[in-house]
Amino acid sequence: MDTFLGALVQGILLGGVYSLLAMGVLVIYKSSKVFNIGYGEIMMFLAYFIWWLLVPRDLPLWIALVLALLVSILMGLSIHRFLLRPMIGQPMMVTFMLCLLLGIAVNGVTILWLGGFTRIMPDFLPSGNLAVGGISVSYTLLISFIIAIAMFVIFVLYFRYSRIGLGMRCVSEDNYISQSLGINVKRIFALSWAIGCLSAAISGILLGSLFVVDTRIGMFAIIRALPVLLLGGLESIPGALIGAIFVGVTEVLASTYVDPHVTGFRDLLPFILMVLILIIRPHGLFGLRTIERI
Amino acid sequence: MLPSGVFNEKYETDIAILRTKAQWFLLAVGLLLVFTVPLLASDYWLSWLIRLVITIVAVLGLHVLTGLCGQFSIGHAAFVGVGAYTVAVLTTRYGLSGWACLPLCALAAGLIGLFFGLPCFRLKGFYLAISTLAASFILVWCMGYDGFEDWTGGYNGLSLEPLRLGGIDFRSYGSFYILAISVAILATFLVKNLQRTSTGRAFVAIRDNELAAEVSGINIFRYKMLAFFIGCLLAGLAGWLWAYSQLRVNPEQFRLYDSIWYFGMLIIGGMGSTTGVFFGAIFLRLLEVLIDEITPVLIDIAPSLATQFHLSMSLILFAVVIIAFLIWEPKGLYYRWEKLKTHYRLHPYSY
Repeated sequence: MDTFLGALVQGILLGGVYSLLAMGVLVIYKSSKVFNIGYGEIMMFLAYFIWWLLVPRDLPLWIALVLALLVSILMGLSIHRFLLRPMIGQPMMVTFMLCLLLGIAVNGVTILWLGGFTRIMPDFLPSGNLAVGGISVSYTLLISFIIAIAMFVIFVLYFRYSRIGLGMRCVSEDNYISQSLGINVKRIFALSWAIGCLSAAISGILLGSLFVVDTRIGMFAIIRALPVLLLGGLESIPGALIGAIFVGVTEVLASTYVDPHVTGFRDLLPFILMVLILIIRPHGLFGLRTIERI
Repeated sequence: MLPSGVFNEKYETDIAILRTKAQWFLLAVGLLLVFTVPLLASDYWLSWLIRLVITIVAVLGLHVLTGLCGQFSIGHAAFVGVGAYTVAVLTTRYGLSGWACLPLCALAAGLIGLFFGLPCFRLKGFYLAISTLAASFILVWCMGYDGFEDWTGGYNGLSLEPLRLGGIDFRSYGSFYILAISVAILATFLVKNLQRTSTGRAFVAIRDNELAAEVSGINIFRYKMLAFFIGCLLAGLAGWLWAYSQLRVNPEQFRLYDSIWYFGMLIIGGMGSTTGVFFGAIFLRLLEVLIDEITPVLIDIAPSLATQFHLSMSLILFAVVIIAFLIWEPKGLYYRWEKLKTHYRLHPYSY
C-alpha cells in the first residue's frame, strides 16, 4: 500500500512539473495556432545554457538565472520574428514542421557548442528526502512541483485578469476580429513566444535538477507534453493541469509496477497514451470539437 | 506546357507520359547510363547511389501518402524498419529465401501501416502526424525490446546472409545497385501511373478538400487506408533493400530523424510530384556528401569541436536547408524545374 501511495504522490508531483512543460506549448498554441513541437529542444538548450553559466563560468545563481531568462525571452522573440512571422496564414502542418526542424537545429547547435555530454546540474534545490508516514519524497521533486505549480498559477492569473491576457484570449478566439478591434496581434504573438520560451527555461532548470542535463531531455520533455496536451484538449488550460497530473501518475505507477517485468515500458507509455487518446477521444477532455462547415 | 510544334492529335498522345521522340531518346540514354554506372563509378559513389535509390523508394511511398493523399506521416522510417525486420527475422529465424520475403516484406509493412493508419478515420493534419509519430516510436521500441530478443535480436539487431540469385552474389556494390535501381524504376513507374488513375485522382481530391471529395462520392476512409497501404508497401520494399544493402538491421537505423529527413526530401522536392521526390532525395543525399567533405576541413580550423562536428553539422544543415525551403520555396525544386522548362520552351519569347 505504501508503495502505491508513494507512487501516487510522486506521480502527482511529477505531473505538476509536466504541467509547466505543457503550459509553454499551450500559450503559443492558444494565441497563434502554432504547435511548438521544438519546445523540448529549446528547453534542453536553455538547460545546457544554465549549466554552462553555473559550472564552467562559475557565476552566482541569481545572475545565471536572470541571464538565462533574458536569453530565453530573446530566443522566443527572435524565433517569432524570423521564423514564424513570415509563416502567418500558412496551414498548421507547415508551422508544425517548421518547429520540428527548428528543434532539430537547436539540438545540433547544442551538440556543436557543448558536445552533448551528460551534465549534472549543481544542486541549488535542497536535497534529501521528506518522509511523511511511510511515504518519502525527495525535496528536489517537491520544490520543483511547487515552483512549477506557482508558475502555472501565475500564468493562469495573468491570462485571466491582466489586460494583455485578455488580449491573448481574444486573439486565440479569432485573430482577424482582434486585429480589427485594435489589439496588436503581432505583439501578442511575440509575447506568447516570449512566455513560451520563459517557461521552457524554468522547466529546463527543474527537469535538469530532477534528472540530468543531456541531449535526450528535450525529447523526454516533448513526449510527456504531447499526451498531456492531447488529454486535456489543445485549447484548455485547466485541462493541461489535469492531463499533466494524470500522465505523471500513470507514468510513475507504470514505472513502479510494469517496468520490472517489461524493461523500458516507462518510455513507451506516453506514446501508448497518445495513440489511445487519439483513437478514443481526439479532442481531449476539455478541447473544442471542431465542426466542419462548407 | 508542351514543347513548340507538338500537338495532341489522338487520345493516346494526350495521355502519354513521353510525347516526343526526343523524350524517348533521352529516356533510353538515361536508362543506359543508369545501368552502366557500376562500370564507371567508384565504390564510394556506388554505395552512395544504393543509399540514394533506397531512399527514393521510401520517399515514393511517403509521396503517395502525403504528397498525393495529404495524410501527414512523420514516422515513415519505422515502416521501412518493419520491412527490413520482416526479411531479417524470416530469413534468420525461419530460413525463408530472401526473394520469397520481398512480397512478404511489402505486405507486412503495408498491413502494419494500415493498422496505424486506422486513426485517420477521425483525425487529420496535426493529430494524424502525432499518431504516426507515436506509431514510429512504438514500432522502434518493439524492435529493440529485450523480451523479443530471441526473435528480433534486441538492441544489437540481426545479421543477414547475403542475397544470391543463381551464380550472382549481391554482396558487390555493382550487382546490388542494379537490383536496387530496378526496384526503384519499377516503383517510380507504378507511382507515376497510380497518380494518373482514378485512385490517384481520388487521393488528390481528398488532399485538396476532404469535404468536397466526400460529397463527390469518394469513400474517404477507404481511399485513405489505401494510401496508407500503398505508402507503407513501398516503405516495406525500401526496407527489404535496406536490409540487404547493410546485411544488418538494428533499431538505431530507423530513428525519428530519418523519418523527418524523408519528409524534408518531399518538401525540398515539392509535394505531389514524382520528379520532386527524385530532386529532394538527390538534394539531401548530396548535402550529406558535402558534410562528409567539409568536416575534415572544419575540424582543422577548430580541432576542439572534432568529436561532435559531423553529427551536429548534419543536424543543423539539414534542418536549416529544409526550413529555408519551407519559408522561401514551399513549392520545392520541382516548381523551379517546371519554370525552367517552360522558360526554355518559350525562348526567346517570354509568353
